[in-house]
Amino acid sequence: MNGDLQPRPDTVQRRQFIKASAMAAAAAVAGGTGFLLPILATEPAAGVQWEKAPCRFCGTGCHVQVGVQDGKVVAVAGDRNAEVNKGLLCVKGYHVGSALYGKDRLTKPLLREGAQYREISWEEAIKTIADRIEAAPERFAFYGSGQWTIPEGCAAQKFMKGGLSNNHIDPNARLCMASAVTGFLATYGVDEPAGCYDDLDVCDVLIMWGNNPAEMHPVLFSRVIDRRSRGEKITLIDISTRRTRTTEACQHYLEMKGHGDLAIANGIAHLLIRNGTYNRKFVESFCSFKAPDDQNPNLHGKPISFADYQTFLEPYTPEHVEELSGVPADQIRMLGDVFGNPELKITSLWCMGMNQHTRGTAINSLVHGVHLLSGHFGTPGNAPTSLTGQPSACGTVREVGTLSHALPGGRVVADAEHRQQAEDFWNVPAGRINPTPGYHTVKMWESFCTPTDKGGDIGTIWVQVTNPGQTLPNLNKLFNPKGDNKAGLEDKFLIVSDVYPTATTRLADLILPSAMWVEKNGVVGNSERRTQQWFKMVDPPGDARDDCWQTIAVAHELFKRGTDGMKDRDGRFLFEVKDNDNKPVPVWEWEHYYDVNVDEHLFEEYRQFTRLKHKDLAPYSEYVKARGLRWPVVETDGQWKETHFRFSEGFDPYVEEGTGIQFYHSSTHNDRAQIWFHPWIAPAEVPDDDYPFMLCTGRVLEHWHSGSMTRRIPELSRAMPGGYVEIHAEDAAAYGLRNGDKVKMESRRGALVIPVWIDGRGKPPRGTVFIPFFDETLLVNDLTLDAVDPFSKQPDYKKSAVRIRKVQP
Amino acid sequence: MTRDSTSNATPLIAFVVVSVAVAGYFTGLQAPMKASSLSSPLTAANRQTRSTTTPEAGVVLATDYKDMADVTLARRQHARLASLKSTTDPLAEIRIDPEEKLMALHQREQNRAFNGAPPTIPHPIDQRSDASCAACHKEGAMTKTLRIPRMSHEFLTHCMQCHVENNPRHMPGTAFRENEFTGLEAPTAGPRAFPGAPPQIPHSTWMRSDCMSCHGYEGRHGIRTTHPLRSNCQQCHAPSATMDQTLLTGEPQFLPGPEIRK
Repeated sequence: MNGDLQPRPDTVQRRQFIKASAMAAAAAVAGGTGFLLPILATEPAAGVQWEKAPCRFCGTGCHVQVGVQDGKVVAVAGDRNAEVNKGLLCVKGYHVGSALYGKDRLTKPLLREGAQYREISWEEAIKTIADRIEAAPERFAFYGSGQWTIPEGCAAQKFMKGGLSNNHIDPNARLCMASAVTGFLATYGVDEPAGCYDDLDVCDVLIMWGNNPAEMHPVLFSRVIDRRSRGEKITLIDISTRRTRTTEACQHYLEMKGHGDLAIANGIAHLLIRNGTYNRKFVESFCSFKAPDDQNPNLHGKPISFADYQTFLEPYTPEHVEELSGVPADQIRMLGDVFGNPELKITSLWCMGMNQHTRGTAINSLVHGVHLLSGHFGTPGNAPTSLTGQPSACGTVREVGTLSHALPGGRVVADAEHRQQAEDFWNVPAGRINPTPGYHTVKMWESFCTPTDKGGDIGTIWVQVTNPGQTLPNLNKLFNPKGDNKAGLEDKFLIVSDVYPTATTRLADLILPSAMWVEKNGVVGNSERRTQQWFKMVDPPGDARDDCWQTIAVAHELFKRGTDGMKDRDGRFLFEVKDNDNKPVPVWEWEHYYDVNVDEHLFEEYRQFTRLKHKDLAPYSEYVKARGLRWPVVETDGQWKETHFRFSEGFDPYVEEGTGIQFYHSSTHNDRAQIWFHPWIAPAEVPDDDYPFMLCTGRVLEHWHSGSMTRRIPELSRAMPGGYVEIHAEDAAAYGLRNGDKVKMESRRGALVIPVWIDGRGKPPRGTVFIPFFDETLLVNDLTLDAVDPFSKQPDYKKSAVRIRKVQP
Repeated sequence: MTRDSTSNATPLIAFVVVSVAVAGYFTGLQAPMKASSLSSPLTAANRQTRSTTTPEAGVVLATDYKDMADVTLARRQHARLASLKSTTDPLAEIRIDPEEKLMALHQREQNRAFNGAPPTIPHPIDQRSDASCAACHKEGAMTKTLRIPRMSHEFLTHCMQCHVENNPRHMPGTAFRENEFTGLEAPTAGPRAFPGAPPQIPHSTWMRSDCMSCHGYEGRHGIRTTHPLRSNCQQCHAPSATMDQTLLTGEPQFLPGPEIRK
């Protein structure tokens, strides 16, 4: 593919010649005949260079063309040659260039002194971090991100697990994708979707399980509804706890109570078996059945027979499902008919509704199970597709394995063979990797906010590219104590690498200004297994520097001090990078960081890890040429070919001929996927007399996650200036509330004063309220609870009990 | 109640009703708003950078009683977009005025982040439905007081995915922090091969496939085409392969020429 969109030199010269002669002629004409020309032509869009990059924001992974002029980004266009978005963007994507130019961009390292900060040099900053790590390496933790580029994740991962033998590295994606991961592992034995966005182009039925793609993955959603406006017949079904913009585009709206999804999925399976419409052949050829093992809870469970499975599903009649979920029995029967129809191509989409769930692993497994039971799997259009929210939750967190229990390429620290493979690829001494999993996110922050003498064994956290001070649940327990002088946490140290002041930098002891998006090289991986690359286009402001460089600089400082962990098997620096002449380049010195492509070096080292679970990545140079490639990318006849549909013969090169569908990472080692039974279980917190409302949280179209970037973009900020609570009109009337009135929302954990928007953008039913989390001055996570799913350790942001009091003006 | 007391009460009740009506009538006359002074934030003349010509965007101003009949009739007549009379004379000659052109480009800049960005919406919207957008913007119109631009791209579902309000109704539209982004400027004209040649299109036609939406009858004065009756624009005006991101090779290819012996 031709990525070169710059005018060639001779074309430019020719144009200049024409322009010059035109101007001369025009001058002559103007002088001679009085013929008035309009404003003399200037070179169209003079001097703008257009380069490709994936968008900085959500997990869709749209490709953009970035227009750079005089060293600044001046425009963004959708990339017409990208398969993901085909030239279309959403409002955030169009304005992503502005994200770099907020006036309060961090430009200098800042060290806290009392209530204020002092600007310091990078040398001092690096030394400060190295001091803290050297003093207590086992009390150091790294809190990373699904917005980390793949090389950034590789650097942090190798630094911690392959260097310090410390497994306390966990990402913010623990809070969004962990249950999807455990659902995939429990079902297929390996993570990440089998299908891709091509399914959206051919599906007949699209089911939203608790997500709002019209606002959250708008380009994917319009990919489907644009088909409908061109005359195709597609049925959209919205299963949700409140009406949203997505609902307006759907033919069916199934309003459910929290955890109703568990009942609904079981209800569909029940009907498929009762009506005999499950796909007998598919199930007998490719599936086994599992149920939870209550004695020894894990992702393998215990095998059961089909008869057992049928018995477990007996109670989930449509009427009982109606009791549990609130969805009328007729609509459950409708879903049963839809899934029971083998002619239809059904794609299920989900995101946080199913993942931020105290039974997230269960519901993920159940939705996969419904697709497998009914045979709606493995052909284009038939797919259970989990969507991610962050641009590289898949590419970095899940594939590089920056989780407290994981190693790159789908490996785990607990497995000796995996450790040995990782040690070989990283060229570190055998036994370097610690076999004990580290602390997952909630545990890490809980430990950080517990005094050392009371068992708080995390003393220092380095946060990169994320905003836990706004996005952790139950902030009064997991973050805010850091700022409380009486909490006994004076010895705790928080390092934050970010681009703008945020709710997290508020309590940081050391703030490091970082480069963002096209101010650095990068590689990310989106929701459809597509790894995408871009090159640096503009310089970061002030003294802001790449996160990857920061990690390597700290590693080198420790190496200079003789820390053994920073040496590889040959005693050389862990992050030694060589140039084309095989001479080492001092990349820990910022002036030399871009002498070579450090991204390429780290990526090529990481590539080796990807073969084990057949998530093969192509060489870096292939990604430079393409608008991303979906793994496994396998070299066939000298060409690197991507894989559209995994596990399906003809599409996936690793599927053996004649098998049709082969789950080659089956957890039962017989090429079969697992259909699980999980019972319905109530949410961790439900409304009661004291706290009669159910609080749901989420996002809006205009703001991406904690809003630290999008709120500084004027077009987006003006469209959605601040937070609010959505409430049903009758509930508002019962409390005497009008639009704009302030209310005090309280949960068992905290309180918040917030304005009301009646039947706002979404329409919650009676008894439910909704607060978006983008506003750093209205921290809804003061109210949410930190109960987690037992397997994924992911918290539930969608169900907390709150009460409302009107605040007198 | 006896018949007698009823007949005694009736004139009293009638008197009360009539006096209330009369009092209401005169009170209504005091209302400050007149039908003729109906102005809306959408009028071309009133358009400001951050439109707040009416104190509450989205509120339709009240009419006083004596104008009520006329206004209701007028509103009903003009309720359909197709019946709005355009004030543009399709045969009028259009002269290009550099001042007007710069003014038009300046106005365009007010609700776009950069040349090519989706414009923000200057009026309140229904938060959930985009059928309501197409009702006006699918065709567009230009009347004495109102300019409704036509969509410059083909019909795409889910308008609000790209176009957001610049002053929402539920709270005042404010910028959270200052931003120093300066967007790509709109070109002022396309390059011509020689004086009198049709200018090449100086912008991408992606999302701007309907030329008439900006350069036609509903377009701003200053960037209107001098020849709106010609409808096949790209017959004369060449697009730019680079800006349109077409996948052509960088340099047109030719067969090698004759090798001349030295």
